[in-house]
This record gives sequence, C-alpha cells and structure tokens, in this order.
Amino acid sequence: MVSFHEILERATRGPIMSSKDFDMNVFIPKVREVVEKYKIRYDPGTPCPADDDLADRIYQAAFDLYADVGTYVIDTERVIQFSRKEIEDAVYEAPKEAYFGEGPDRCVFKGRRPDDSEIPHCHVGSGTDTTEDVALKMVEAYGKISKAKTVSIPSVTSHGSLKSSAGSPVETLAGISMMRIGREGLRRAGRPGMGIINHMSSCAQGVSTIAASNPDFGARPSDGWLIAPHAELKIDYSSLNQVAYLTSWGANIGQEAGPIMGGYAGGPAGTAVVTTAYCFHGILVARATYHLTYPVHMTYVCSTTPDMLYVVSTSSQAISRNVGVPYYALGYAAAGSGTKQYFYEAGAYLLAIESSGIGIEDVHPNKAVVTNGALPIDSEFTCSLGHGMVGITRKEANRIIRRLMETYEGGIKNPPRGRILNECYDIQTMRPDEELRKTYDEAIRELRGLGIRFK
Amino acid sequence: MTGDGTLKGIEEAIIGGDKERSAQLVEEALAAMDPLTIIQGGMMPAMEKVGNRFSCGEIFLPEMLMASEAWKETMKLLKPKMLAAGESVGKIGTVVIGTVQTDVHEIGKNIVATLLSTAGFEVHDLGVDISASKFIQKAEEVGADIIAASAIMTTTMTYQRDILEHLMASGLRDKYIVLVGGGVVNQKWADEIGADGYGGTAVDGVRIAKELLSRRTGGG
Repeated sequence: MVSFHEILERATRGPIMSSKDFDMNVFIPKVREVVEKYKIRYDPGTPCPADDDLADRIYQAAFDLYADVGTYVIDTERVIQFSRKEIEDAVYEAPKEAYFGEGPDRCVFKGRRPDDSEIPHCHVGSGTDTTEDVALKMVEAYGKISKAKTVSIPSVTSHGSLKSSAGSPVETLAGISMMRIGREGLRRAGRPGMGIINHMSSCAQGVSTIAASNPDFGARPSDGWLIAPHAELKIDYSSLNQVAYLTSWGANIGQEAGPIMGGYAGGPAGTAVVTTAYCFHGILVARATYHLTYPVHMTYVCSTTPDMLYVVSTSSQAISRNVGVPYYALGYAAAGSGTKQYFYEAGAYLLAIESSGIGIEDVHPNKAVVTNGALPIDSEFTCSLGHGMVGITRKEANRIIRRLMETYEGGIKNPPRGRILNECYDIQTMRPDEELRKTYDEAIRELRGLGIRFK
Repeated sequence: MTGDGTLKGIEEAIIGGDKERSAQLVEEALAAMDPLTIIQGGMMPAMEKVGNRFSCGEIFLPEMLMASEAWKETMKLLKPKMLAAGESVGKIGTVVIGTVQTDVHEIGKNIVATLLSTAGFEVHDLGVDISASKFIQKAEEVGADIIAASAIMTTTMTYQRDILEHLMASGLRDKYIVLVGGGVVNQKWADEIGADGYGGTAVDGVRIAKELLSRRTGGG
C-alpha cells in the first residue's frame, strides 16, 4: 500500500487546484458521469435493495470516482491522487479485522457480508452533547450492556462553568475530561478494558485530540479515533496531524464520513457512490483500520427517510461485498428518544444495515442535536434487535422496512421531541421511569407484530 | 428566434446550467431588448424555478450551483450595460454570510448562500473559519442588512454568540439582522444568544431572511 510518508509527499506535491474548482469542475461532473455510466438508479419502493449487481456497480462507480478525483488537501490546495493499481492494492491490503480493548473486554470487529448469519458488531453509545453531571453515569450504563462490544462516550463540551469552543484551551480541558469520564465509567461498569472508539467527539481540533489522548488520562491505542473529512473528499492538516500522531502510536483509526444527500454528491444514487468512495480515502489517506459512515438528508438532517435508507444500505453492500473491512453505520432519527416513532425509525435503519452486511450502532435520537438526548434504552434496543435479527436477508428487511415507514414517514417533518435523560431516568440508579418502560414495551410488542425479533 | 423564444431559451439554458449557451443567447437578446427585460423575462423566472425545484427535492445542490454559475456569467454581460444606462440591478437586500471561526464546514452555508442569491439577495460569501470581527467588517463595508453565520458543531456554535457580542460592543447590534443556522443549532440557542432568526433548513433560512427584512423595511 502507498505509505503514509508518500501521502504527505503528495499532499505537498500534488496538482494545485482551488477548492471551488475541485468541487465544480472535478468532483461534481465526475459523480454525475459515473452515476450515468453505471446506470445507478434509486427506486423509492425499495429502500433496502437485494441486488448484488447494483451493489457491485456502485462499488465500480465509486472506484472510478476516487481514481479520477482523489482527496483534496485544504491547507495546501493540492490533490492527492492515486492510480487504479494503487487503489486496488490498498483494498487488497486493508485490515479486514480491527481489535479493540484490553483483557477480557477485548473484541475483534470483522467485516461481514450481506444476508450474513454472523452476529453484527454491536456498538453502543453516542457522542451527543452531554452535561458533565450525567456523563459518567451514561458511560457506566452503556458499559453494563453485555451484548455491546465497543462504546461511544458522550461529548462533554464544558469544563466546570467554562463552555468549550473549538480551538480554545477549554476544548482541550473538555477533551481530557471526556477521556477520564469514559474510562472511569467503564471501570464502574466492570468493563475497564472495553474499547472506546469515538475519540474525540468533544474536540474539533487536532491539537485538543492529541493532547487528550495522553495515556495518563485513560487513552489506549486499542481504543479508536475517528478522523473526519470535509465535504466532499477533502481533508485538512488538522486531521492529517492526528493521523501522523495515531499511526506513530499504533492506535486504531476510524475513517468517518457523512456525505450530505442533496449536497455536492447530488441525489440518492450519487450519494451512495460517494459514501462508498470514502472507504478508499479512509484506507489510503486516513490509514483507517475501521470505517464509520453516517450519510444524512440535506433537508431533514436525518437518515431514516427511504432515500437515505437506500443510500446506506446500497453503499454498505458495495463495501461488504467488495472490500470487507470493519464497517458500521450511524443513523439519525428525526424523533426524540422515548417515543414510539424513534423505535420505528431506529428499527428500520438497523434492519437496513444489519441485512446489508455491516456492524450496527445506536440510532441517535433527535438528529443528535439535543443535549442529554441519547438514552441507554436506545442501546438496549440496538443490541436486542441486532442479536434477534441475525441472519435477516435484505429481502425480508426491505419488506419490514416498508411497513415501518408507513408508520413514521408522516412524522419526519415535525417529529415528536421525546424526553431527555434527566426527564425520564432516575440518574442515581439509571433506571428508566414507568412511562418510558411502558412506551418501550409497547413499541417492542408492535415491532414483533411486524416481524422483528428481539433477543 | 422571437423575443419570447429567446427569453425562454435563456431560461432553459440557466436551468440546465449551460453558461455558454445562456451567455450566447443574452448577447443575441441585447440586440433587441434592454437588460432589465432579459433579467425579468428570462433569468429571474429561471432562478425561481431552480429554487422551487430545489426546495421540493426535484434537483440537488450540483444542479443549483450550475444554474447559479450560469446566472453569474450572464449577469457579467448585463451589469455594465445597466450601469451605463443608469439602471440599478434590483436586489431585495444584502447578506454577509460565512461559517464561524474554527469551523470549516461549508456545504450548508453554500446552499443557503446560493438560495439567497436565487431569491434576489446580494450575497457576500466570506467562506469558512471567519472571526466575528471579519463578519462585522465586511457588513460595514458593503452596507449589509443581514449577517448570517453557520456553525456545525457544538464547540463552534459559541462563536455565533461572539458575533452578537462584538456587535453590541461596537454599538452596531441594531443595525443588522443576525441569522444563525447549522447542524447543531436550534431555536433555543438562537434565543439564548439573542439572534434575530434561526433556519432549521436552507429553505427556512431564506424564508426567515425575507420575512425579517420585510418587517424591518416596513413591507409585508
């Protein structure tokens, strides 16, 4: 595989181009071209297609796209380009397994296949903004979910009375707090070795992330650090600095990308292609050992609409059939937690990705914009469904998803707010109140009626 | 081609994002009609249709950006002629827009900027990672009505508050309508920092910009 040293060389020696030229004259025309060339079409009636040929055409389109476009480096205004042979070699050599955690909590995250009968990697938690007073309890609750293999810890964006701002010293302090809280929470849950794989949600800047990753604060190379690109297929030196640090340390790097459906990638077909292409960028430029995707709808900023389910399911199939790297997807529900609509939206999303052959993560309620809006019961739901539906085929998933969509599609535009942690949990015991438990049980009963199994 | 046919051709060329064709047709049209007729009869209907189709999800950002580029190319031909004839280039207001300090996410901001342009605003897009003082400096320089600030992360949204505090510190708060938006921003935050408006989506942002400007200028 092309070395990271060579990546840095190309970042400073590649063709010079303005960011606008990259978007308008390179990226956009090429996406449109490959969508046409490979005849990739979105069918609203099939949010989770069981079409291997479509998945493979999306993969080929993404390959052509990345071979022609490459990755744009914002700081140097240059493009890192790769030959087709270099991309093929990278796909062949990319790690197909990632190891997270220590001791008895250590786990392996492997690539799966569509319609796979293996249990998907169950990842729980959320990097949603969470107040310091409940963050520790949240992590402890996540750690106690035995089916969960890895965890995301909350984003803490304050340090005492100081509110964190990107690039400020408070961000560094908040990042350190997040790291300490995460490790201590898992220790209290009895799973001190569990891998935390969303470092560092509290930090926007590379310098804060690197500072908070000092092992004295609880960080371990067997955790996972997420490296985000800029839309679309762009990276900056802040992220490359993190890659330089993490590769030198031997830590797990996760390539994360959330292409915007309706943005530069265009409609559902183009977004499926671009989402897939990020995998090549992740392997080569971000040096990823695992991959996270979270495409979102431009207007509704969620990912449970039929076009978004198509994007995530087809791109996941393209990756799981052709690359086989550890890959999972994060969905955003329009509805708030503790509502039936949330469980219906989350159910549809989880079925789409599980059947498409990738790992699963909690669907984030309220589009992840409400402080303390994520609940431990969301994680219970994720794991219970993930294990219960092992072996689900895409065809079966598509049938159930269509029935689920009938129940929630009308509520996407004006979704119910739901309740936040402080309103529906006893914070001391971290037990849900009676109303939440009742809503959950009713939702489970109704979902069972639609053919979903829980374990 | 008849006058109406030419205007229709300009409209179609802009909608299709064909800037060479739209420029060529505008050159031809200028021989027979004045710039204002071309703008009102061919170009504005095109951008209105583009805006509507985008709002309905019939087209996406690439198509809108290409139409916007075609609009800008043709305006380059028309503007000098209008200024020479003493005509003003109609606009409903002036907006200074950017993504706040330390935030380099631009796609949402670009969508809003393009939609504002298509809605008839004069838009000054500062780009990304823009400090509060730069927003204000540009607004003062171009005589803006609106400052629109985007932030995508919880750790960058605090810089939206900075803009309002800088405006207050310099005694300019009442001079500008301040709009905020971005992934993590919500109405509660907008209220908390004293912004004048919040757009949950790009389309909302443009609607609110129009409403607030109309209220300020006494229209509607």
